[in-house]
Amino acid sequence: MTEIRGESLRYKGRAAQTGIYLKKFLRMFVYQSDWKVLPIGAIIAAVVTFVVGANMFVTQEGTDMGTFALVCVCVWNGFFNSIQVVCRERDIVKREHRAGLHITSYVAAHMLYQLILCLLQTMVTLLILKIAGVKIPVQGTFMPWGILDAGITILITTYAADMMALMVSCIVRTTTTAMTVMPFLLIFQLVFSGGFFQLSGIADKVKYVTISHWGMNSLCAIGRYNELPMVSLWNTLVGFKDIELFGKKPLKEILVYTEQNGYRDAFLQWSGSYHTNNAYVSTAENVGFNWAALLVLLVIFAAAAVIALKFVDRDKR
Amino acid sequence: MQLHWTTIVTVLFEWLLFSAALRSISGKLGWKKPWDAWIPGLRFFALGRSIALNRECRFCGIMDVVFLLGALSKSVVPKGRVNAALSLTVLILFLYLFLYRIRIFLRILEIFGLRKQWLLLFLIANWLPLLLIGFGKQYQPRDDIQMEESWMAGTKPAQIPGTARSHPEALSSEGLSINIRERTVKEYGKKRYLLKDISLNIPNQSMVLLLGGSGAGKTTLINAILGYEKADASVLLNGSDVYRDYDSVKHRIGFVPQKNLMRGKDSVIRTIDDAAQMRLPKNITKEESSSKIAEVLDLLGLSAGSEGLVEKKSGGQLRRISIAMELVTDPELFVLDEPDSGLDGAIAREIFRKLRQVADEGRIVIVVSHTPDRVIDLFDKVIVLARDSGRVGRLAFYGSPEEARAFFGKETMEDIVMSINREDEGGEGRADEMIKKYTDFAAGQKEGAAS
Repeated sequence: MTEIRGESLRYKGRAAQTGIYLKKFLRMFVYQSDWKVLPIGAIIAAVVTFVVGANMFVTQEGTDMGTFALVCVCVWNGFFNSIQVVCRERDIVKREHRAGLHITSYVAAHMLYQLILCLLQTMVTLLILKIAGVKIPVQGTFMPWGILDAGITILITTYAADMMALMVSCIVRTTTTAMTVMPFLLIFQLVFSGGFFQLSGIADKVKYVTISHWGMNSLCAIGRYNELPMVSLWNTLVGFKDIELFGKKPLKEILVYTEQNGYRDAFLQWSGSYHTNNAYVSTAENVGFNWAALLVLLVIFAAAAVIALKFVDRDKR
Repeated sequence: MQLHWTTIVTVLFEWLLFSAALRSISGKLGWKKPWDAWIPGLRFFALGRSIALNRECRFCGIMDVVFLLGALSKSVVPKGRVNAALSLTVLILFLYLFLYRIRIFLRILEIFGLRKQWLLLFLIANWLPLLLIGFGKQYQPRDDIQMEESWMAGTKPAQIPGTARSHPEALSSEGLSINIRERTVKEYGKKRYLLKDISLNIPNQSMVLLLGGSGAGKTTLINAILGYEKADASVLLNGSDVYRDYDSVKHRIGFVPQKNLMRGKDSVIRTIDDAAQMRLPKNITKEESSSKIAEVLDLLGLSAGSEGLVEKKSGGQLRRISIAMELVTDPELFVLDEPDSGLDGAIAREIFRKLRQVADEGRIVIVVSHTPDRVIDLFDKVIVLARDSGRVGRLAFYGSPEEARAFFGKETMEDIVMSINREDEGGEGRADEMIKKYTDFAAGQKEGAAS
């Protein structure tokens, strides 16, 4: 509050400033062609889904690969949404901060705007999954419908990645640095997800701070991974079918017998039951826990973004 | 645990030879403490000062110590993962150290006017060419390269007789009252003076030109006045302490930076409207705000095409939009850093005429300009900032343009700047003289006013 010539003056608070900036960013959606992230996200999702989507939520291996790819799409989309948004206008933020802008309002406006972008991207991705014929379970694990569970997971995963990129954008001073850092973060997320690459030792602990780990856990739990058939054992046996023993091919005979008598699916289901993962248990608690972990991460990233940007006044001219 | 004597001896041998090489050239480079050459880390800091390559040498100095410690600790750490990790770290550090040393060596070659072929010798044994340069009488540093000076810049203000602060201006509760004792920064343990002894009162309804050569401290002075970078100073804006009450006073200040810092992908009207919403008090109604925006747009000639995108506007229009963003808040103090840069004479004059109107409405307008002569008739006062022989920004004049011409004996403002610029910058190098003369002039004025 300012006292000037006997008159008390109050200026716009944090909430009002957030509203002003949110409107500004929404205008940018049109003027700055931010809408382009939607078709780009759709193309990436389509390419990935058409390649690995057929067996997603059908077999354990297909789900492993498919959910990993889907999480990659989410992380990619999130990163690209916001990696440059702050650093490209850092000088402007410095000017506005000196004139009274609250950094918390600025970051909050970005968070709300990015949430809208992520929501739109999630809807596009779900549409692509539907068109590609991905068999998302009808019955939900946390919510009444599976598609809603999947949608929430995709949204939170994308949003957490978005917030991580926003944090980077608030820390670095140039877009060049941001774009240099981004691939490393992306690789880190993918390698340390713990779902697709086998991790051990310290690396196995690192996965807990990755967005991809919690996103993949959540998608696998929603897709009822532990109840899905496993095909890799059957395929391995098929590879060895021509092994001869005493002039005969016993493995081939067993496989033909199993297939002809309709026991193949039972075998796949049986082998799947020996390849379960506790992190993928299909319970509302597990899915909720994974979502909570993602929310904690995104809150940490957002807080770090605010703290980092508070130092914008120290930038050299 | 087993000591790896080979490692220790190698490291010590390298330290000894390189230090000896540095010691040999230290005299030619004008080191004040030649024994610094023997101290790991410090030897590079000293070298950096003497060859004006501080950043590289600082990095090398830190690496020097880290490398030495890393190599020695490796020798006492038993074999295993930790040892392997240490080896890798030392190797990476060594590569960095090597690359930076090449850069430093190239600078030394430049100083001694030697050809780059010497680098081959440096690659074989980095201490060898330094020893040759150090002991070879035929190798002497070029006269045209000044090394210590840039390091010492600002560390000691020039001792100009009679300029001790015996008569600072009394602070006034009307207008802008500036009393900067000093503005310093700490740089690697060294105190550097950026500004010293600047004291003046600017009345309301004034348009003031801030004049000075490159590096005189104009932007530093503006930042100190506006409270962006606090100095050891008292700055009062119509009685309010800018430093103490910064959170409230900042709403009464408008600063237009040199660059057009605004979003190009937004419309002109929205850009100004957002600025108004952000900076105007809450009790201003939407109608009052719209009316103020319309008034500013009209004043600055931006009404036509205000729905268009900012990025589509010309250079002159962009400057005016940037000014409008601040002006819309009705600031009491309005500071503009080169509002005319990159603009032709007619447009620049038009902008300054608008600023004159703003000042006439009761505000203080301070403008930095490098081409002031085309608009000097619009200004009430001129502040001339000069860099003394110790490279510290000081007040060389504050008064009307006519007084400034008489004081400096020059016809134009650009000639005034040239008279205080250093000789190696093409100027007359009379900064110290003018600072002294102004101190006497100001004291005389004060005495005259008192009597």
